[in-house]
Amino acid sequence: MFETATQGIITGILMGAIYALIALGLSIVFGIMNVTNFAHGDFVMLSMYLSFAVGSALAWDAVATPLITAPLMFLFGIITYYLLIDRTLRQMYVVQLAVTVGLQILMRSAALIIWQAQPRALQYSFIQGNIQIGDFQILTSRLFSAVVSLIFIAGMAYFLSKTWAGRAMRAASDDLGAASLMGVNYHKTYALTFAIGSSITALAGGLVMSFQQTDPVGGIRFGLLSWAVLALAGLGSLPGLIVAGIIVGVVESLTVSFFDPRSRLLGVYAIFILVLWLRPRGLFGRR
Amino acid sequence: MDVEPILKVTNLTKKFGNLVAVNRASLEVNRGEIVGLIGPNGAGKTTLFNAISGLYRPEEGTVFFKGMNVTNWLPHKICKLGMSRTFQVTRAFTHMTVEDTVRVGAYNRFNEKNVQDKVDQVIKVCDLVDIRKRVCEDLGLASLRKVELARALATEPEMLLLDEAGAGLNATELAVFMDLIKKLNQESQITFCVVEHVMQMVMGLCQRIVVLDSGEIIAAGTPNEISNNARVIEAYLGKRAVHARNQ
Repeated sequence: MFETATQGIITGILMGAIYALIALGLSIVFGIMNVTNFAHGDFVMLSMYLSFAVGSALAWDAVATPLITAPLMFLFGIITYYLLIDRTLRQMYVVQLAVTVGLQILMRSAALIIWQAQPRALQYSFIQGNIQIGDFQILTSRLFSAVVSLIFIAGMAYFLSKTWAGRAMRAASDDLGAASLMGVNYHKTYALTFAIGSSITALAGGLVMSFQQTDPVGGIRFGLLSWAVLALAGLGSLPGLIVAGIIVGVVESLTVSFFDPRSRLLGVYAIFILVLWLRPRGLFGRR
Repeated sequence: MDVEPILKVTNLTKKFGNLVAVNRASLEVNRGEIVGLIGPNGAGKTTLFNAISGLYRPEEGTVFFKGMNVTNWLPHKICKLGMSRTFQVTRAFTHMTVEDTVRVGAYNRFNEKNVQDKVDQVIKVCDLVDIRKRVCEDLGLASLRKVELARALATEPEMLLLDEAGAGLNATELAVFMDLIKKLNQESQITFCVVEHVMQMVMGLCQRIVVLDSGEIIAAGTPNEISNNARVIEAYLGKRAVHARNQ
């Protein structure tokens, strides 16, 4: 009992750090541009397929594939922004919703056509295996992914608070009109924000591919998980995002251990609904 | 010496649905001037400012700034050309520190390497040294007005639009603010166009005043001319006041 719980919590914490990273992409796009990207989970799915493609073509380790997939997803983000998102900004909210849901369906169908319905996975390499601590086992690939995720989130916090582009993004988030009257080019700032959100999914996708397979509908799970993390964290706090990611990871992991592996998202949904009901701005949200 | 006005607005019209907020307004501001834009509430002063600075797209008319037709330009391009502004309802970046807020403005002309000197200079000029690390949402109105002025100055404008920068300030704060604007006008050669309700500020600062009523410009002239203009008194106080005065 105690052992199962501890093992579940360890696994949950490690997965939670990756969920926080995935939610970070959603969070900066939503927080800065006020765009709700319903296709975010499918960006992760696409990234995982790109990792699979790069990893199998070059015989690279999954965790190295973001070196190629991140620039690709950055480009994909810029194209998506100018082609689709930019045109929805001055429209009714329902237009934005329709466009991102449409994008989600498009990406899922494209993945189905290109990679077919069977799951794809990469050969594990240097980070395979377990680390044994007492009675508990830690999957090395998950530990590695969690550490990389946390480092990246910290790096993003630095980027947002200390660089020119980060400050422009925060200013645009607070007051777009005032920011653009002070010389901030909002098209470029938004395109950069969306592209960063998109390339974060490339990093996350590469990390997840080191211990999981991908399939065309796998995006739903990541999309819903990141919404749950974001709802729990609220906007504007990166440490909050990490804590929320870990809570979601642990709840998911404990549901699997104690209830039923098939109902892994049940607990996550339960806290998602509870938070929306009891504290709509999230545990750490500023608005 | 530039003979052509730094700002020239011709027949500008801005509508919101059926409401004509600004109706064929024309005005000129010469380099180095401090021009006041006054008028009763709802006269269209802020709308005119928004159309000039690029926040609104006017239905008709043109805006020339430094000899270039900037009508329908995006705000950040007009800012790059040398125009900046403050807001009637303060719009500092609420979640950023004073220093970061000012820095966003300074990036208009400076890069990461040399931005700090500009930030320090503007923070000193606007008397924000003590609160430079504070977050904007914690500040009072007088401080926020200074932060907005600092942010606008950091963009190194040749022309500054101040939208009711004196509103809500007490007499001491107002005097300090007016001195600062006069100093900036004389020493940094910044041209000002100020929307203002505080008459003490309008009369004390402006060389020329333009009066807007119901979206139309009804008078323009020196402070003295304006305070004796019958249409202006009518717009502010009603017809009876003009009548009483003429008797």
